[in-house]
Amino acid sequence: MTNPTDNTAGKKQDMKSTPRNPRRALAGMVAGSGLLLTGCATNAPQDIFQPKGPNAHDINQLQKLVFPIAGIVGVIVLALATYIFLKFRDRGQAIPSQAHGRPIVEITLTVVPALILSVVGVFTFRTIFDLAETQDTEMVINVTGQQWWWEYDYPVQEDFGINQPIITSGQLVMPVGTKVLLRETSRDVIHSYWIPALNGKKDAVPGRINLLRLEADKPGIYAGQCTEFCGLSHANMRMEAVALSKEDFAKWVANQQKPYAAPAAGTLAAEGEQVFLNQCVRCHQVNGQKRADGTAVIAAPDENVYSGAAPNLSHLMTRNTFAGAMFDLLRPACRKDVWSAKPEEFGAKYLAGVSEDCLNATDLRAWLRNAPAVKPMYADPTKLGPTDGKYRGMPALGLSETDIDKLVAYLLTLK
Amino acid sequence: MAIIERPSTAPAVPAVATPSSSLGALKRPMMETGWKSWLFTVDHKKIGIMYGAVAMFFFIVGGVEALLIRLQLAMPDGKILNADVYNQMFTMHATTMIFLFAMPMAAAFANYFLPLQIGARDVAFPRLNALSLWLLVIGGVVLNLAWFLGGAADGGWFMYAPNSGPVFSPSNGVDFWTVGLQIAGIASLIGSINLIVTVLNMRAPGMTFMKMPVFTWMILVVQFLLVFSLPVITVALVLLMFQREFGATFFDAAAGGDPLLWQHLFWIFGHPEVYVLILPGFGIISEVLPTFARKPLFGYPFVVFSGASIGLVGFGVWAHHMFATGLGPVSVAVFSIATMAIAIPTGVKIFNWLLTMWGGKIWYTTAMKFAIGLVLLFTVGGLSGVTHSVAPSDTQQTDTYYIVAHFHYVLFGGMVFGLFAGFYYWWPKVFGRLLNEKMGSWNFWLMFFGMNLTFGPMHILGLQGQPRRMYIWTDARAGEGFFNLAFWNMVASIGSFILTAGVLVFLINVVYTWRKGPVAGADPWDARTLEWLTTNPPKPHNFDRIPVVHHLDEFFHRKYEEDTATHTMRRIADGADLVRAEEAAADSDIHLPGPSYWPLVLALGIGVLGLGTIYGIPVMVVGAAVILLGSFGWVLEPSVPADSEIDPPSVDGPTKEIAPLG
Repeated sequence: MTNPTDNTAGKKQDMKSTPRNPRRALAGMVAGSGLLLTGCATNAPQDIFQPKGPNAHDINQLQKLVFPIAGIVGVIVLALATYIFLKFRDRGQAIPSQAHGRPIVEITLTVVPALILSVVGVFTFRTIFDLAETQDTEMVINVTGQQWWWEYDYPVQEDFGINQPIITSGQLVMPVGTKVLLRETSRDVIHSYWIPALNGKKDAVPGRINLLRLEADKPGIYAGQCTEFCGLSHANMRMEAVALSKEDFAKWVANQQKPYAAPAAGTLAAEGEQVFLNQCVRCHQVNGQKRADGTAVIAAPDENVYSGAAPNLSHLMTRNTFAGAMFDLLRPACRKDVWSAKPEEFGAKYLAGVSEDCLNATDLRAWLRNAPAVKPMYADPTKLGPTDGKYRGMPALGLSETDIDKLVAYLLTLK
Repeated sequence: MAIIERPSTAPAVPAVATPSSSLGALKRPMMETGWKSWLFTVDHKKIGIMYGAVAMFFFIVGGVEALLIRLQLAMPDGKILNADVYNQMFTMHATTMIFLFAMPMAAAFANYFLPLQIGARDVAFPRLNALSLWLLVIGGVVLNLAWFLGGAADGGWFMYAPNSGPVFSPSNGVDFWTVGLQIAGIASLIGSINLIVTVLNMRAPGMTFMKMPVFTWMILVVQFLLVFSLPVITVALVLLMFQREFGATFFDAAAGGDPLLWQHLFWIFGHPEVYVLILPGFGIISEVLPTFARKPLFGYPFVVFSGASIGLVGFGVWAHHMFATGLGPVSVAVFSIATMAIAIPTGVKIFNWLLTMWGGKIWYTTAMKFAIGLVLLFTVGGLSGVTHSVAPSDTQQTDTYYIVAHFHYVLFGGMVFGLFAGFYYWWPKVFGRLLNEKMGSWNFWLMFFGMNLTFGPMHILGLQGQPRRMYIWTDARAGEGFFNLAFWNMVASIGSFILTAGVLVFLINVVYTWRKGPVAGADPWDARTLEWLTTNPPKPHNFDRIPVVHHLDEFFHRKYEEDTATHTMRRIADGADLVRAEEAAADSDIHLPGPSYWPLVLALGIGVLGLGTIYGIPVMVVGAAVILLGSFGWVLEPSVPADSEIDPPSVDGPTKEIAPLG
């Protein structure tokens, strides 16, 4: 997987020689409504005109071609139309000769757009095949969509220090400057994976594996969203791609593979572990967790969840989000600190994970108290006929407030 | 009163025994006024008006759904609708607007004006025409019944599998949806065959294909699109119905099915459907622009052939709705290029409309304003369409509000503005009264600004990454500065209310015109085509004498001739005089097909049968029995009433052979 071809190496160099200015003016478009778009650092995080990696950059090159063309054509048509509207008003002139058109004009007006479009077509054609290139992949991550969250499964890849599979969710963590290939599929309905700063969309289709390449230039968090309508909580199925420097990524991998450490006996967290063992392990796995008798705890989500999985919660507090990235694990101030960190400081801040001070306890507690109340899911026990009694999403567990206290304390130890 | 204006020389179908009068207890409903004259009519004009009324009703329903959507999205974390209801709302908004407003409204125009434009006295199969209407009504009722019976369909109008399956969409909404659309589909299919036969067989003497009005041409292209695309969606709907009702697994990957099969079937129908929606609008403004620019359509053959080639190529671009599904680069490249190619004939049309006005003498009536609005707005939608024909670029845009902006510019700007141009242009033809121009002006400008304010900002929202079909959007990802989602979502919502105000002005205008509108003369617009060569509104038999056609724009050329010295047009006759001349030379005996109960009975039976797929076999049996009854009644009734059934009997009785069709 680590054999970058000359072609892509050259492309990379080319990119370095042309630094991209995020404040670059974009393109005139849609002249009819007079909109002129400019790229801007404060734009929404899913702005499609701010590529942060070579795949999105290739796409943006095409956008920089086709949007101005569309804009210019639009302006010409509008100008011509305005001229006609004013010039040929009824001023009492005679009714003109009933001429039926001139073939030469018609042919010109057919050929000119055809020529313009063929130019666009040639570049489009090339980019389509460039983007489908997967021969030079350096790293593979399996991505599985499920109502309404994503699972990330890192197969063993010694080059990156991944000696045992890592299963996580909420945030896709990847090294910068690495050609990462996502192998997407779905456990239930069709979802679509989209991190606009890194690449276009690719659907996750049950029964198929679709390939999507991501590569980030700089460390940082890149926002995305599921973009294929996937049922009730489609709007709440978000994702975040986290790019770390190669060194930081190695640290992240090492941490994910760190053995489980049970909370010290007698602490609130230890009581929380008991609540977790009573309730949560039916669906949620924490790798390495053991019962008092020393047996390994294996979750069996397929017995309770229709699509057969629930997020693996090992090292939960190394992530910044939960519940399909709908909620932040970080309080707003701490979140902002991470999101707006400079690329060189980002890695350290991200790897610090979620401390007790920074924990967004409000949303987490609300979730534990009654998950379907804060995120629409098919989790009403009386309405599970079509799924033979299995939930889609997390049901309300009926935990007491003290149980929630304990559980939060326990979850905080999952670093 | 024959529906065939050229008397047949031989008995139509000698081998088959044709009934001479209807049987049994049900006397033919011959009344000419009152509600029964509408319910059982087979007159293409009455059917056209009813199509229009039904479509207008559903336009309002779909519009209310749209307003609720915009209210919900005006602010972050909207609380007006919950996720479930929101998903039903956007599903039914699209379904209603496409299948219950746009297509029926186009059918209304086609039904009413196509026979008039080609100089015919009715469509080829008048009773089938009534069946189409009633099936559409039944389909619309079934689709919307779901709201009251456990929730409407919630899978989006594209209804992607497997999300539409029984597990993921447990309410009966999708069941009502599949049944309702199948019934509405039968309506469209019957209608399209009817209109194709009408155009091919019933044109007035002298009207060759290249002398046919462009509206008729575009409607003809649309009917062919429907004939070839509706069977595909019907297959898909039947598969989905089997999947939901009888446990089939066509789209279930775990059982060896393929979810993408649905997408291919849906879009093989769905993309031609886009042209089904837009081409009637193109046809209408291709009548309106020449009328008010006082020039024939620039490049008539190019407009006709570009329309036909849009229709043809439209069958080869469906997978551009699927660029993100992992088709592989070869397919993506092919469909990307084909999609760019379709922009060429579309561009030809826009230039031809502009050049029609070039050198003209433009009269800015409300109809003309809407037609011009279509040209401008459709240009915007067309150009944003070109930006997503570039497949890689589309993978960034698809399923965002940028697409919503695109197709609303195409469909609202392109189609709805065309329909409104048609309302103002043809209102005097249908109702004999002119819509108020001052209110018309308000109507146009409110709709024009409202439309741009609603859908213009959606370009920004989409390019800033706001996906479609989300019941809430969040402040956390709204950004700041000029392009922030919060501001533009609010603008779009405000725009939608301005747009609504425009539509309300139209409705007020309709009521005002009905009560107090000025009576239109025979030829209020100095129009060009045959439908104006008869009274306003036309008599039941349309033309007193079947016109003989010598020109494209026949009516105009009967009024004007070119001054050879100045090359301008000189008026030689008055439109009203021409109409009077036709009346004076009326054919002495005209037989029309008689009203009938059976289309309505048959349609009701089909509706009950459809509901039976949801409510069980006993209901299906009842439906089947009604269908059987309706079919027999239909077959045993002659299409043209016997003299004994006309009360009082016609004075002279039929003197011409008539071919009983329908």
